[in-house]
Amino acid sequence: MTDVNALIRGVLEQQGRLPESPTKLRDDEDLYASGLSSHASVNVMLALEDTFDVEFPDSMLRKSTFQSIGSIRDALASLGVVVDPS
Amino acid sequence: MTVLIGIDAQAIAEAEASIAQVGDRYTRRLSTDEEPATCGNGPAALAQGLAGRFATKEAVLKILNVGDVVPAWRSVEIRGTTTGRPEVALGGEAVALARRQGITSLSLSLTRDGGIAAAAVVATVSPLDSDSP
Repeated sequence: MTDVNALIRGVLEQQGRLPESPTKLRDDEDLYASGLSSHASVNVMLALEDTFDVEFPDSMLRKSTFQSIGSIRDALASLGVVVDPS
Repeated sequence: MTVLIGIDAQAIAEAEASIAQVGDRYTRRLSTDEEPATCGNGPAALAQGLAGRFATKEAVLKILNVGDVVPAWRSVEIRGTTTGRPEVALGGEAVALARRQGITSLSLSLTRDGGIAAAAVVATVSPLDSDSP
């Protein structure tokens, strides 16, 4: 089964422009407090769409959707991505 | 009269990199159908224009004092005018948020220098009717 959290961390590593490697972040750690800017969150969203072959509807373009690795994982699950049980 | 001020800045190189990486999809998610055409010709002009528009949209969102429900970026449109002064037009959820705050007008000033596009937005606010919900 695909390690969704690892893929999310990979996207954050490439697009998040975070001062610290996402591998060091807990699943529930606040990404905005960790340095994720609004513009970087756009790139993260688009890269997630490419990685998981989904499209985030406008209704999901909320700050809370991209607040943490865990919230991104939940959002992807709601879009039909099969994730490991927590 | 009460005024609210929103300000934001965006690195043009970041917009340029995003356009190079994901192209139209980046533009479509952030812009209305009309906005890219008002940015000028060529990739550099598009990056500069979109960076300024993104800064404007973020500045407007600060004024709208959004909580978790953030209006789509496409609901804030930057329009050129014949006088050369850009204007902000709201749509969708952004309209409702502006009404809730009693915002009656938005004024925009855009600038760019040193690889940064910056936007300052001033909103005029009328007191809300005390009987309003």
